[in-house]
Amino acid sequence: MADPILEVKDVAKYFGGVKALDGVTLSVPRGGMIGLIGPNGSGKTTLFNVITGFYVPTRGEVWFEGERIDGLNPNEVYLKGIVRTFQIPRLFPSLTVLENVLLTPPNQIGERPLYAPIRSKWEKQERELARKAVRLLKRFGLGDYIHASVSELSAAHIKLLETIRGLMTDAKLYLLDEPAAGVAYDMAKEMFSFVRRLRDEEGLTFFIIEHRLEVLMEFVDYVYVLHNGKLLAEGKPDEVVQNKAVIEAYLGG
Amino acid sequence: MVGVSEILNTVQMGLAYMVIALPLTLSYRVTQVINFVHIIFITLGAYTVALLGLVGLTNVWIAMGAAFLLGGALAVLDNVAVFEPLWRRGSDVLIIMVASLGLWIFYKYLIYAVLDKLFIVLRTNTLSVLVHTEGFPSVSLGGITIDGYLIDTVVASVIVSLALYLILMRTRIGKAIRAIADNQVLAEISGIPRGRVLNFMWFLSGGIAAVGGVLWALFQTTVTPEIGDQIILQVFSIAVIGGLYSLTKTAIGAFIVSGTENIVIAVLHDAFGLPLSFRPFLVFLVLLVVILIWPPLGAGGGLPYRFRVRHRSRR
Amino acid sequence: MESIIGFLISWLPIFAIYGILSISLNLEIGYTGMANFGKVAFYAIGAYLSAALTISVMLSLVGKNVPLYSIEAVQALSTEGTGALYTHPAALVGLFVLSLVLAFLVAGAVGYLITYPTLRVGPAFLGITVLAFGEMFRVFMRNYEPLGSTKGLFGLNNPFVWLGNSLLSQGLFALVALGLLLAVYVYAERFVNSPLGRTLRAIKDDEVAALCLGKHVPRVKATVFFIASGMAGVAGVLWTFYQGSVQPDTFVPILTFYVWAMVILGGMGNNLGALLGAAVFTLVDRALTFAAGMMGPSLIIPPNYLRWMIVGLVIVLVLMFRPEGIKPARPIKTPAWEAVKEEVGKDG
Repeated sequence: MADPILEVKDVAKYFGGVKALDGVTLSVPRGGMIGLIGPNGSGKTTLFNVITGFYVPTRGEVWFEGERIDGLNPNEVYLKGIVRTFQIPRLFPSLTVLENVLLTPPNQIGERPLYAPIRSKWEKQERELARKAVRLLKRFGLGDYIHASVSELSAAHIKLLETIRGLMTDAKLYLLDEPAAGVAYDMAKEMFSFVRRLRDEEGLTFFIIEHRLEVLMEFVDYVYVLHNGKLLAEGKPDEVVQNKAVIEAYLGG
Repeated sequence: MVGVSEILNTVQMGLAYMVIALPLTLSYRVTQVINFVHIIFITLGAYTVALLGLVGLTNVWIAMGAAFLLGGALAVLDNVAVFEPLWRRGSDVLIIMVASLGLWIFYKYLIYAVLDKLFIVLRTNTLSVLVHTEGFPSVSLGGITIDGYLIDTVVASVIVSLALYLILMRTRIGKAIRAIADNQVLAEISGIPRGRVLNFMWFLSGGIAAVGGVLWALFQTTVTPEIGDQIILQVFSIAVIGGLYSLTKTAIGAFIVSGTENIVIAVLHDAFGLPLSFRPFLVFLVLLVVILIWPPLGAGGGLPYRFRVRHRSRR
Repeated sequence: MESIIGFLISWLPIFAIYGILSISLNLEIGYTGMANFGKVAFYAIGAYLSAALTISVMLSLVGKNVPLYSIEAVQALSTEGTGALYTHPAALVGLFVLSLVLAFLVAGAVGYLITYPTLRVGPAFLGITVLAFGEMFRVFMRNYEPLGSTKGLFGLNNPFVWLGNSLLSQGLFALVALGLLLAVYVYAERFVNSPLGRTLRAIKDDEVAALCLGKHVPRVKATVFFIASGMAGVAGVLWTFYQGSVQPDTFVPILTFYVWAMVILGGMGNNLGALLGAAVFTLVDRALTFAAGMMGPSLIIPPNYLRWMIVGLVIVLVLMFRPEGIKPARPIKTPAWEAVKEEVGKDG
């Protein structure tokens, strides 16, 4: 595949005797919108956890933009430019929508313990970030919720917010864990078309776990199928849905 | 010198620790709350046996039964009055733990105040009481005298652990307790009467801990209002060794700590002249080593962060 | 009037000490979500450090080579007019200031180090480890002969005792203590109303998610622990100079929970609330002592027990019926608000 941004090479992760991942090799091209599917317990979230540094793989390597990133801590992986969302969104309930967005830029001056009490050191940067955040929120239709608490948002808005706040930084790769879970069908389609818009307009790369194949297959350009920790199939969406092994895995598993 | 007495002490202390720590691990595993009132159960049990002895009721088994009921009742009271309402409101487990801390302080000084008055009535001028109770007689085996209290402790802890095992593994309510431990919300949805099962679990925990308090009093032979507080460190270390999860590991932890406090300190004392007052430092060391080397990640929550990176990224 | 001044100079330092302690605990639990059950350890480090440092240097100034805890040392220090405290005023004040700085650094460093083994485990384990550490420190001091074992160190006084007039010297000390409290309060307020404060709240909400947003959670937590422990060390120095002595059994675990009660009552995540909590409890304490003095042994529950029962009950009842405390947590204030207003206003 041309110009891969993320490469997973023979990655395995064992928990005691359980082989959650058992030699997975795949790559995500720059600017791609790639799906990752598989029955429950097939190792999709484990793979995300390995990529984002939650787990150190038992075997194998993860490369991002020509750099090896397996074994890095989650915060270091984020600083490399990988943003991740969770199956159950993890926003910060005691912060407002704006603050949730303002949190994302790394290495803010005002986050340094010595500078934090001295407002003049970071005031300028803070104002700039705030303006950028407001523009971002307005652009994606969250302008009315700037000072709202996260608990006032709808499920779809929460998913949206979790994704777009990555735009505050120059993150390049987005790992979305079931962005359409718990959202009505229409909203799910909207969510995906919005992701595609981001991909087209901003040149971002998306790697997406999704259970709702009917939505996913419409939007992604390539799909990997995991089963029992191994890659079962890969290909264009219409090829994969006709793959016998895939159908069997879904029906059987 | 590590002699017979150190070994016998290790056994008796370890068994008492085990009976005290098992219910702490159990209640943590089910509710994810470290219950500081646990310390009060110990004090309560210890005073039950001491005060019954003072008024002439000198059967240790009656004392244990009474301690079991009192400790269980107190635990259920706490659950109904404080823990359950907080849980219903969706409070963080940390908040519930701090509430248990408040209860611990309240009860501790309530006990002080009550004893203060009680001992004016009983005309003793000290809050500490010598334990006077009777169970099995002492036995002489090949020149070694085995204290009657030790035999009582062995019998009681065998009964308690066996009963706990049978209840958890072989009964329906035990199954329900384990289901709640795995997932409180899910268990409730699937029709388990969560409230009742939890009350039963708390009764069991409080009761067993109070019986542990009786055993601890038998080991100490003198009971003071601080008797529970003195073993906070030991009991929590044991529970941490068990990862606050595994009852078997908790039992092993009890003997690791009591072995440290009796045998290891004696060896170090002989070899390097380490003062015996360093006992708590060794226990603290055990706690630190356990947290550093086998951090109880699963049960205690924690951060997926590694201080040492396995390799540096390279081009 | 005179009784009011008398009350103030004896209450203000205590209020300042507990105010600093509760603000520091609030930084940990209220803002960052770290349960510190061993605050007393860092308080004790500050107290012991300042007592040992001041007494040993003062003794060497007057050329006395006696154990720090001996009667001779007490005489050499505090005999009115001829004791070292009276003959070397500049050194005394200097040592007080030096103690404050050193206590902040040493207690802070110890706090920084102790977070290392506990960062990867849950909040309950941090609490228990620090609780155990505090007890270790107390047990060690009880057995450590050079610093007076169970009796502790005696013979100090407030750093202005050489002024002669006790009202003046104690009043001055009360003002200094109040000034330190104010400085700690202003610092804490500025510290949390910043992008860093936002990160702290995020860590409190969900530390794993914060880690995934690139925040170096272990380092941030260790830093907060450094600052908060250092503040507790400063409070310890004030205690030494207020009390004139240190004893190991002052630093029992329950003292930590006294501060917890203040923070919970005042409102977790609100510095002003923490101050209020400290004021309420120290005043109740005064009132109880006063009532006990008036009523004597006829009091049904001895005041010392009653005080702690109140502490325990307050913790439980506030958590149950008003978990946000007297003053609920306030949103973080940064200039972002103004910038937002401008930006929103732009296109009407």
